[in-house]
Amino acid sequence: MNGERWTENERRARELFDASVEGLDAETRSRLNRARQAAVAEVERARRSPWRTWLPAAAAASVALLAVVLWRMPGNGVEPTAQSGDPSPAAEVVEMLANGEGFDVVNDDPEFYTWLAAQELPANGAG
Amino acid sequence: MTASVSLDFATLARLADGEPAWAEEDVLESATTLDRFLASVERRAFRIAQMAVRDRDDALDIVQGAMLRLARNYARRPSDEWKPLFYRILYNGIRDFQRRRSVRSRIFGLLPGQWGDDEDAPADPFEQVAGDLPEPSRQLMADEAMQTLEAAVRQLPERQQQAFTLRCLEGMDVAETAAAMGCSEGSVKTHYFRALQTLREKLGEVWS
Repeated sequence: MNGERWTENERRARELFDASVEGLDAETRSRLNRARQAAVAEVERARRSPWRTWLPAAAAASVALLAVVLWRMPGNGVEPTAQSGDPSPAAEVVEMLANGEGFDVVNDDPEFYTWLAAQELPANGAG
Repeated sequence: MTASVSLDFATLARLADGEPAWAEEDVLESATTLDRFLASVERRAFRIAQMAVRDRDDALDIVQGAMLRLARNYARRPSDEWKPLFYRILYNGIRDFQRRRSVRSRIFGLLPGQWGDDEDAPADPFEQVAGDLPEPSRQLMADEAMQTLEAAVRQLPERQQQAFTLRCLEGMDVAETAAAMGCSEGSVKTHYFRALQTLREKLGEVWS
């Protein structure tokens, strides 16, 4: 088979392929169209507020850091205080994270928890 | 004593995108450009995926995943880079799908009365689930030449399949194909040449 013949075969292959593309049914075209619109919407959303993509993870990280900081503070153990029987704020955060609930809560309202993590907290946890 | 934990969202945004946020008009223009690009490749990409995985719904999922990934991760790249990037993502999606399907087939193959990996086996349980094509596509797929071509292409090694599909069917040049495949232009030429050689042997006069 010479080069010219092969070129003809390539052309034929592409014609067959093009015909199969043109022959796609309406439902498939519609689904592709919807997929494209979803992709374009995604990039528009991400570009308008790129920080939102990172917000849940950032907020979760903030809460984790907050818990570590509180945990290391003197007098803020995880045990309830002897007088009140209530857990300290640090204990609540640490317990929440230990139970695997923390990240769900953070995802519910990431902006609040990020704000919370940014606040200066009193050393004794008394508020 | 006080403790302070704070986050700099401007830093996070730069980390996320490597650049500051775009102006409104840039966002709209870029979205329009991306929409136009995706519209230009979506049907061909779907057919390429369908040829590889032999299932319409799976092919649609793969194309949708590739679109989303391009939009999320590479929309800020120059638009002339999108085509090779998109096809690279697409082939990664196809490969991931085929690996998952291979694992599933092996698992089912271990079960009594199930079929193995034989491509000619008449009743792959996964293909039976969502394998019905709409009538127009069925008519086209029934075209003997196209079916023969697809079958022959599927039997090629993966890299030869990619080279043939991108170069011949998609019409990309060697440089674009190399970028899409993540290899050198020399490798593309080699894969393509071998693909053509194999197809010529298998197809003979069918294309004429």
